[in-house]
Amino acid sequence: MNDAKRNLSLIGFLTLVIVVITPYLGLSEHLAPGVERQIFCDIRLPRLLLAFIVGAGLSICGLVFQAMFHNPLATPFTLGVASGASLGAALSVFFGVSFSVFGFSSTSLFAFLGALITIRFVYSISTLNKGFSLHTLLLTGVAISFFFSSLILLIQYLNDMPDAYRLIRWLMGNLAIVGYDTIWPLLPFVLLTVAVVFYLSNELNLLTTGDEMALSRGVNVTQIRSILFFVTSLCIGAIVASCGPIGFVGMMVPHICRLLIGQNHRWLVPASCLFGGSFLIVCDTIARLIIAPAEIPVGVITTLLGGPFFLWLLIRARAPIS
Amino acid sequence: MTLFSVSDLSIQIDNKPLLDSISFDVSEGDYLCILGQNGAGKSTLLKSLMGITPVNSGRITIDKCPFKAFSQKQLARTVSYVGQRPPAIDMIVSDFIRLGRYPHHDAFAVWSKSDQSAFDSAVVLTDIDAFLNRHCATLSGGEFQRVQIAAALCQQARLLLLDEPTSSLDPHHQGEVHALIQQLNQAHHITIIEVTHDLNHAIQHSRHILALKSGKTLWYGDSDALLAAPILSQLYDHPFVTLTHPETNQLIALSSEITR
Repeated sequence: MNDAKRNLSLIGFLTLVIVVITPYLGLSEHLAPGVERQIFCDIRLPRLLLAFIVGAGLSICGLVFQAMFHNPLATPFTLGVASGASLGAALSVFFGVSFSVFGFSSTSLFAFLGALITIRFVYSISTLNKGFSLHTLLLTGVAISFFFSSLILLIQYLNDMPDAYRLIRWLMGNLAIVGYDTIWPLLPFVLLTVAVVFYLSNELNLLTTGDEMALSRGVNVTQIRSILFFVTSLCIGAIVASCGPIGFVGMMVPHICRLLIGQNHRWLVPASCLFGGSFLIVCDTIARLIIAPAEIPVGVITTLLGGPFFLWLLIRARAPIS
Repeated sequence: MTLFSVSDLSIQIDNKPLLDSISFDVSEGDYLCILGQNGAGKSTLLKSLMGITPVNSGRITIDKCPFKAFSQKQLARTVSYVGQRPPAIDMIVSDFIRLGRYPHHDAFAVWSKSDQSAFDSAVVLTDIDAFLNRHCATLSGGEFQRVQIAAALCQQARLLLLDEPTSSLDPHHQGEVHALIQQLNQAHHITIIEVTHDLNHAIQHSRHILALKSGKTLWYGDSDALLAAPILSQLYDHPFVTLTHPETNQLIALSSEITR
């Protein structure tokens, strides 16, 4: 317990350092003072905030999926939920659907629906044959991801050139924004998700011990799972609609946090938020500095880091718990 | 007083009947053993009492209240369950046992004095003080079984459901767990329903026996009367002889050779 608290404070401290230092990296001294200030306030700060929110949201969703399915490889990305959200968003763009509900765009709504339908579908397939099967879950997730990716490619192909290019850029995952307009519709969803997940920490602790055990301790597993599916879909939908699918953050961050903090979600939830947020800030800083003045989409960086990490997990993992 | 009453309970999965109109009563302080072949529906019955397997028809009441009126949390304050296949638990033993207090907590409950005393008494009863700080994955089968029982005891439920708690243990550890169950039942008045294949243990220690065959009740009555009723061979489709134990003079059942 003391280790957990110490490591959590350490993560908190590092987050603070990262948040304070990274926006100054790559600021040129040759600019006029006014311009520099404008870059800092209108570009650097919103981008930093966005990276933090997105990183925290993705990590929390990964944490929840890993707990629910008792396996580090089960995340919104490996289970096709992010692809579902991408497809939803791509469809709304392709058909030119454009409306907004309480200031939230149709793209977000479509992405949310895509995510929720996908996770419901993938989960129901995995329980078809006498109870839950992790193998079926992961395989269905992979199959669905490929299927949806092809559909997105098709949409891309049918689009005209400029739209197709925008779609590609978006699918790579991007945090390059100007001003705060992207952040406001995203923030409530991520905050809601983090709050709900934090509230359900005890239930998540029990879910990691298996559904049967959780039920026998008094967790209403079906209800809790529905709530978690709903809020994570909201979060993934909102993130994918505004920044595209940014892969692997949701797998790496919670797993590393479990190694540092242990299995208590009361500590894991804040740790994953902080770690995920600052991790994506670092990745985004690399993305904009490495070939400056040009930029790499941040999704490329996270995936380049995540691929080897995924392999490391596979090699290191004992036989998956089924 | 009747604590648990089951009448006409039936369960089908995919139109395949698993349990067919099972009825029995368990009174406060009772010790019921459920016997039967593999696949007879013993575990399904136990799981339905914990709300893990949904029931298709029939009536379960706890303290005369209908089962469905209980939320899962309320149920867990009355009934606790130790399952058959222990899942791989990635936790320190003491953290795992603490999870047993969940049904007594709301979302931000602090660990209270009553929590600590429930925890302490569960640890003392099961004698697991020595490995509280070890990781669950490092425990032997017998140790983990006691940890599982401790976690269930932490729930402070009146009824404890045990699904083959000794089937994977050596004779020494079997004896240890049997003695623990006896103690829980007699000294601490916890009502117990146990699924077991250990015939003689059931006959000697439990008060009532429910014998299931292919999802139906084959025999239900006082444990002492089981050997007098010639149903063992039929129950297991296997020949048995009964003889008198040379030391205790009690009747015991002995599985005989299958002659082909």
